[in-house]
Amino acid sequence: MKKSFLTIVALVAITVSSFAQKQVSSKTHLKFFSTTPAEDIEANNYKAISTLDTSTGDLVFSVPMQSFEFEKALMQEHFNSKKFLNTKANPKAKLKAKLVNLDNVKFNTDGSYTANVEGDLTINGVTKPINEKVTFKIEGGKINLTSKFNLTLADYEVAFKKGKPSTNIAKTVEVTVEANF
Amino acid sequence: MSITKKIVLGLGIVIIIIGIIGAMMFFKPQRDVQNTKTDFSYQASEIVNEYLTDSNNANNKYLDEEGNSKVLEIEGLVAKISEDFNNQKVILLKSATDKAGVSCTFTKDTNEHTLNIKTGDKITVKGVIRSGAAFDADLDMYENVILEKCDIISK
Repeated sequence: MKKSFLTIVALVAITVSSFAQKQVSSKTHLKFFSTTPAEDIEANNYKAISTLDTSTGDLVFSVPMQSFEFEKALMQEHFNSKKFLNTKANPKAKLKAKLVNLDNVKFNTDGSYTANVEGDLTINGVTKPINEKVTFKIEGGKINLTSKFNLTLADYEVAFKKGKPSTNIAKTVEVTVEANF
Repeated sequence: MSITKKIVLGLGIVIIIIGIIGAMMFFKPQRDVQNTKTDFSYQASEIVNEYLTDSNNANNKYLDEEGNSKVLEIEGLVAKISEDFNNQKVILLKSATDKAGVSCTFTKDTNEHTLNIKTGDKITVKGVIRSGAAFDADLDMYENVILEKCDIISK
């Protein structure tokens, strides 16, 4: 009797743990790209952490903002400064979202799937709703996520009122995201 | 030399100097972290615990407004060796009893210095801090301290 009770407890424990399908990725790449007639500016960040729960569709990205690397040191300093992203006060950006059409993505079957992601994006301490498409490529049980979307800087109170940055940085920047889970 | 000529010459020199300073600012090279003086030296557990105790205080102490944050030397046990999407080696220094560790990202120039490092080794790494350790409720996990532009100081 005691033995069968223990077996039931063990079975329940195994079932409960198999429900928690949380995947973690620390192999990520985020890119900002801004283009104006004056110049193209690109910044790359390889240090974001992401979690994806394949059973609930919860998707989270945590991005250390000081890890964005620019070609020119001066641009990087501008980016970090109080006038722009204020990374000392807001060292991390955060995406907290959910896959809307989770049923369309077969995480256990190889293939390419498109999903809609809906949630909140916090940059520079400002939180705004976001709704974008992501692509999942499943190969041999490994999950690869990619996405490309545009962000309007003014939405996140990143504004350049005057001077060179206001003419050389686009009002809308293209963001490219990739993560291997 | 007439007074007009002197003024024109003087203005010309001033314009050239301003131009040179502007160009130097614009083309300023990226910070050379390895040739920057180390600000603080710690065990991995020490900086992790300082962040977990009071992250605001730690951010004030270590992060710089323009991103030229403090240069740290961290000693710890190698818990994991991996590679990021930029083909940079990443070494996690973390003791088994700590909730978080220090994730150290190398560069294409320093990658090869990690080749003979194995998990369990005790090493000292120098790099620039990008963000601190914290428990993130949305990720539902602890995040590591992040150092970049790293190189091995001793092993």
